Amino acid sequence: MRIVCPFCGERELGEFTYLGDAKPVRPEAGASEDEVFDYVYLRDNVAGETNEYWYHGGGCRAWLKVTRNTLTHEISSVEPAAGAGAAKVGA
Amino acid sequence: MVEFSWAPRSPLEHALVTGAHGTRGIEAGVSLTEIRNFDLIQVMARRGKGAELAKAAKARFGVTAPDAPKAVQGKDATLIWSGPDQFFVLSAGGKHTLQTLVPALSGPASLSDQSHARVLISISGVKARAMLAKLSSIDLHVGAFLIGAAAATSMDHTSVTLWRGNDRPDGLAVFNLLVFATFAESLWHTLLDSAAEYGVAISHSEELA
Repeated sequence: MRIVCPFCGERELGEFTYLGDAKPVRPEAGASEDEVFDYVYLRDNVAGETNEYWYHGGGCRAWLKVTRNTLTHEISSVEPAAGAGAAKVGA
Repeated sequence: MVEFSWAPRSPLEHALVTGAHGTRGIEAGVSLTEIRNFDLIQVMARRGKGAELAKAAKARFGVTAPDAPKAVQGKDATLIWSGPDQFFVLSAGGKHTLQTLVPALSGPASLSDQSHARVLISISGVKARAMLAKLSSIDLHVGAFLIGAAAATSMDHTSVTLWRGNDRPDGLAVFNLLVFATFAESLWHTLLDSAAEYGVAISHSEELA
């Protein structure tokens, strides 16, 4: 598997580290215990397209948001995660 | 009382043995030269200050700092892309040190002195590409990795900054490699193993190519 880093171009998988699901959003302060439990522990086991965080630690050290199909491993989009490369995401 | 020595020493001091290595009796196919006593400053834009840093860097170095994987030759310095909104300033002879760059760039950027934190290795020779191809997944073909091309990548699971400098006077390509000081000895042995079959000429120098 190869990932096209938006900063470096196409690179081999060994340069990247998988963090996990990019979908969970940290609940607001004062959220219920169930919401926090869901955020911390519960993950969907999707057969199909997922959004994931990957880290290009063996390269430009940017965090990336990768859209990948878990059935085919096809990657349909790679974009900088918020905060990575201020110029590109305007954050 | 322990006596300390603060004289800078190369992390390759013990590993690097000048002279020939590997196959003998042929002209060395690979030259490995460690460049010593350089100044290396990492410059990283503060959040949202990328454009401001680009302006300040242009005023300071007379060239546009790289915003893509490239190495740019500026006034007395090479600017090497190291990631989004960040680059290295490589120079020699105290022309661009942390002390001199902070007043010019610390508004829009964070600076960090990496002069003694990296080892700089210059690789050339007729078999330089063949030897690097064993370690790198980057396409280093003459038409793909042009003079001034750079990459933040990994070799032998070690993070490196790789860029192609100006060709040697004999027309052969020169690849420059920055590696973390504490990983340098390990990568050095890997480089030697990779190059041994072609014959290696090992040296060190204080001249930035």
